[in-house]
Amino acid sequence: MRSLTFILFVFAMITFTGCDEIPVDISDAPIPETDRVVLLEELTGASCPNCPKGSKAVEDILERFGDKVAAVAIHGAFLSEPVNNRSKYDFRNPKAKDLENWFRPFLGKPCATVNRIELNDPDQKYASVSTGQWQSMVENELNKPNLMTILMTKNYDAATRKLNIDITAIPINDLDGSYNITIFLTESNIIDAQINGNVIIDDFEHNHVLRDIITKFDGDIFGSDLKSGSRIKKQYTYTLPDDNQGLWNANQMEIVVAIHKSGGNERTVIQAAQTRIVE
Amino acid sequence: MFQPFRFILLILIAAGVSNIGVTQDKGVFSGSFESNANVFLRDSSINAINTPQYDHQLFGSEAWFNLNYSIQGFTIGTRFDMYYNSNLRNPDASYSDAGIGMWYVSKTLNQLEVSAGYLYDQIGSGIIFRAFETRPLFIDNALYGARLKYNFNDNWSLMGFVGKQKNAFDTYSGNLKGLRLEGFLSLGSEENPITLAPGLGFVNKTLSDEYMNGIVDVVRTYQPEDKFIPTYNTYAATIYNTLAFKGINLYTEFALKSDDVFYNPYIEKHELVGNNTLGKLVNASGTVSYISASFAEGNLGVTAEMKRTKNFSFRVDPNLSLLRGLINYLTPISRQNTYRLTARYTAPALDISEMAYNLDVRYKFNKALSANVNYSDIKTLEGDRLYQEIYSEIIYKHKRLWQLNTGIQFLTYNQEIYETKAEVPLIKAVVPYADFLYRFTPYKSLRVETQYMSTEQDYGSWLFGLLEYNLAPRWSFEASGMYNIDPKKPNVKGNLEKALYPTLGVTFFKDAQRYSLRYVKQVEGVVCSGGICRLEPAFSGVRFSMNTTF
Repeated sequence: MRSLTFILFVFAMITFTGCDEIPVDISDAPIPETDRVVLLEELTGASCPNCPKGSKAVEDILERFGDKVAAVAIHGAFLSEPVNNRSKYDFRNPKAKDLENWFRPFLGKPCATVNRIELNDPDQKYASVSTGQWQSMVENELNKPNLMTILMTKNYDAATRKLNIDITAIPINDLDGSYNITIFLTESNIIDAQINGNVIIDDFEHNHVLRDIITKFDGDIFGSDLKSGSRIKKQYTYTLPDDNQGLWNANQMEIVVAIHKSGGNERTVIQAAQTRIVE
Repeated sequence: MFQPFRFILLILIAAGVSNIGVTQDKGVFSGSFESNANVFLRDSSINAINTPQYDHQLFGSEAWFNLNYSIQGFTIGTRFDMYYNSNLRNPDASYSDAGIGMWYVSKTLNQLEVSAGYLYDQIGSGIIFRAFETRPLFIDNALYGARLKYNFNDNWSLMGFVGKQKNAFDTYSGNLKGLRLEGFLSLGSEENPITLAPGLGFVNKTLSDEYMNGIVDVVRTYQPEDKFIPTYNTYAATIYNTLAFKGINLYTEFALKSDDVFYNPYIEKHELVGNNTLGKLVNASGTVSYISASFAEGNLGVTAEMKRTKNFSFRVDPNLSLLRGLINYLTPISRQNTYRLTARYTAPALDISEMAYNLDVRYKFNKALSANVNYSDIKTLEGDRLYQEIYSEIIYKHKRLWQLNTGIQFLTYNQEIYETKAEVPLIKAVVPYADFLYRFTPYKSLRVETQYMSTEQDYGSWLFGLLEYNLAPRWSFEASGMYNIDPKKPNVKGNLEKALYPTLGVTFFKDAQRYSLRYVKQVEGVVCSGGICRLEPAFSGVRFSMNTTF
């Protein structure tokens, strides 16, 4: 009986391990032809050891998709404190914290939401920790039909540091439901300390750092049941602070606009747009 | 979950309930209840902030109610799980859900045992498969499927299973299949018996399309040097044996895993833009060798362990991280300490690269005096130091009046690797400790613990004291404090300030019930349960817990 059992056991193992599989296709997908712009919100932090990997993933995505992706790096609360005795700046701000908390639960940092699509995962509702999957999440969103055109014009007065933003949205289809608008101000090319694994990089280049949100952190009311071809206009004015510490450099700043669903847990971004404050 | 089956199960259980106390031959009914409740008291000075519980929820709770009923070869069981604003699933987040967390049906038919539902089992020491539950860490890796076990005789059995791994109130997609052949052989003479308990195990993991797509989505973004073609199936096999001869007990296990996709955080990934980074998915085979030898003769007991691990991360989906989706369990080799400061830096088993040794020697000098010395040494396969511990303990019992456990621990701990902290040196700590128990009467006793951790790293040196007054068999009162006596880590205000983390508690026992109410301030640290660890943030609040079995 023991011999029979042993033979059966070995037979089962050989049967399983002898099966060949048809190789899966790992070739890269083509870049979609679309006017859609995807919002990529990364939850990050200067004290987050794995976050440079997230920053790299974002840069790779921007390199590949260019202006089809608008990136925002949110230094909220978790692992976002400045690096002890090494950081010059503190990127945290109240709206970044509110936004980060709005995306809870998440498993850790770095993590990112792409157009705030729900992930169907109770551990990470909107923001995925799998940096390697962010690109495919972006591709999925770019492959969806474009539902809205956003036209943005801005006027920045360097003397007064006053920024005027005019936004016109034109739905391509009728869009049911309620929509909000969120306007982010981000800043790039900031050289400051960042923890990277088990070392601290003093001259890390921080990009797309969320400096403030002109609207409420979860957006201002934009409209309901939007009609195809209609023009919805919004105008905002903001004065850039002058902190004399090297931040709030208008030449390195961008405006990112997102129009997204609102009400309950509806947050899906319909369309995003971006432009530099100073071209 | 399959609703009609659940309904039938509840009816069966109800039938079982109706039989309680009627006649013994109509079955055995058993169960347990466990509950925790936490009141979160925000304390920014110890970083107990920035979670929904501290910010606005203020209260969180968990409960598990388990019922089992056995009758005429049938065993059925179910468990109700409840999580309300719980921080168990993710210490930095809040989780709420409730429902039937587990059910199973099992029937013995002569030599055959059939089971279905949520099943707990393992092969060997768990290196290739272990379906288990560790509640303090929100691990419930039950197999949702079916199991057959055929007992050829009293000594030999063959078990096979097919199923999916449980994921809270859902299951992971993809599936697992396995076989286990185990036996028992008695050799040698009656005077010098030699026994062998050999086993063979085999597991096949098949990725779901969802998980394969997730892998492909990642791999296709890699640079050509890092790309590989993943496969749906991974095979793991193990061979193990326990040999017993007189006072010698020798457990050996060798496991191997075919090419499997897993995340290696220590390997360089080529990047499209800028510098390369660390960590990527790889497709590689893995091995684990594990030997545990023990010897007991007279007053001497010696245990030696060795484990070599290479590329044995085994998850239902390689894109899962932390404690999620673990198919197997790797036994930690270091000593599992219990005192607050000796257990502060604990080495969990690492699954990518680890070479671990442990030697434990116990000697009983006489009825009153015994001693224990333990040495653990853990490095990566490349030779980098991960953990080293020398632990000594002397136990002196003075009649039944008092008992003293005292000793010293010397520790080296790689915080960079175990806690992923940047530019932190190896922690080197010396921890003398004493645990004194004095019995005033058979029912009244006082236990005093003192420990001192001397270290220049991490938070710096600590002093710990505990007073525990026991009024058996009902009450136990506890007051303790962990004091950062020589701080090396600035607090949230940027200052080096001495900080006290007090605990006050009372525990009440009645029959098989245990109730505990504690006020706790707890520093951030690694929390381990059943040899598995995770980094937990600081805690400030009141904890109530109760459990009972019936």
